[in-house]
Amino acid sequence: MSSEAQTLSASSTQDISRAKKLQLLGILSGFAAGAWLGAAEAPTKLVSIGISPMAISLIMVIGVFLARWSLPALILGTSSVRADVRRAPHLIIWALLAGCLWAVANTLTIFAIRDIGLSIAFPLWNSNSLLGIFWGFLFFNELRQAGWRRWTGVLGGALVMCAGATLLAIASSTQGSAGHSLRGVWAALGAGVLWGTMYIPYRKAYLTGMNPLSFVTFFTFGELGMMSALAIGYTGWAPLWRELAVARGVVFWLMLGGFIWVIGDLFQQYAAKYVGISRGIPLSNSNQLWGLLWGIFVFGELHGRSSSTFAQVIGGSLLMMLGVGAVAFSSAAGEEQTRWKEAAQREGRRYGVAADYVAARMDGRQAAGESAPSRTIWDWLLVAAATAIFMVFASMARVPQLSLNWLPAALLAIALLVLLFICTLALYRTTRFH
Amino acid sequence: MEHTENPKPSSSRLSSVLTDVHFWVPVAVLISGLLLLSFMR
Repeated sequence: MSSEAQTLSASSTQDISRAKKLQLLGILSGFAAGAWLGAAEAPTKLVSIGISPMAISLIMVIGVFLARWSLPALILGTSSVRADVRRAPHLIIWALLAGCLWAVANTLTIFAIRDIGLSIAFPLWNSNSLLGIFWGFLFFNELRQAGWRRWTGVLGGALVMCAGATLLAIASSTQGSAGHSLRGVWAALGAGVLWGTMYIPYRKAYLTGMNPLSFVTFFTFGELGMMSALAIGYTGWAPLWRELAVARGVVFWLMLGGFIWVIGDLFQQYAAKYVGISRGIPLSNSNQLWGLLWGIFVFGELHGRSSSTFAQVIGGSLLMMLGVGAVAFSSAAGEEQTRWKEAAQREGRRYGVAADYVAARMDGRQAAGESAPSRTIWDWLLVAAATAIFMVFASMARVPQLSLNWLPAALLAIALLVLLFICTLALYRTTRFH
Repeated sequence: MEHTENPKPSSSRLSSVLTDVHFWVPVAVLISGLLLLSFMR
């Protein structure tokens, strides 16, 4: 009897330690996501020719599409994607839906920036983290029985981050309102609502056991399909083709931006999986801070601006860091995690996904009887084809005549690579990328 | 060993998606977003 009690207690201690490890992994993924999503803006700053924002978005999404297939093929192999889809095929619909939401939101931001400027638009669409917290609470039992301290940390942290984002956006903005202010406000709020709601399919997928690497491969069809439809609808076939032909010298830089963005997004997916959307989204939203670091130190964007602008940047950055810290220190504890598991069991029952598979994947493990992921010749061909496409556009790329500050660029690149290395190693050791 | 394959037929899975309120919230938001975009033009 006492040995049974000892075994149960040891197993419970092991469960708690595993849960803590996964929470830390999710927080680390959120930090890495912020850094890489912010760095994705850097290559796009090299593009200064007059092509429409719609064409720029489309080219970036093409880079994103290539990365979203080649990286999962390289990391786990497409056999793992196929196995996930066999177990939970309904998630393809959710992934396509999320991709469509992303593309429409991204297009709305173009109108918002044009009509009201970045300084007003950014804080409005950054409210997506608050909506994410709401959906996480309402649909997926996040923050249930979390206690007032965690509520304050998450909600307060997200609000403080919104305030910091507002200050940073005002400081970095160079364009004013061009009229149509009400239309721009609607566009920015619309983008925030679409992005905030996009996290419902994310959480749905991860509560049902799908691997983030599998989810993004289908997400990108929705993303590319909707973005292509919008670009053709707004610009027309022939003008769009002409714009793409004119832009061939900068296609590489835009696709590179898309590629870097995917690395950040993959970390964001793991953050959404292991700390939930209520914590994962605010942590990833620290990308604005990283984008500004690249802008100020590498591209000299605020050179010659007034001291009040620098005060706004420092104040905004401190608020962002304070908010990130508050969210990071409010990870889900025992009772809240039990509620997450209840939500996962509910999803499993609804969609007929085996309980052992859902439980194992929630725990960042392979299910019993699941074969180890392996790469085939097709995966290597996929990676080679994506690399070849990037190399073709790299050979056409024009090196822009810009004065860059190389030392800060090197330091930021080293910081990115260190985060990539640490987070990838942690994901591999703890979950084998599940 | 427990099996991990999905036991639900595809028609049943589709009806599970279509009767899930979690599905209709993003669909409604997507349609609203598209309407907003068409208004922007």
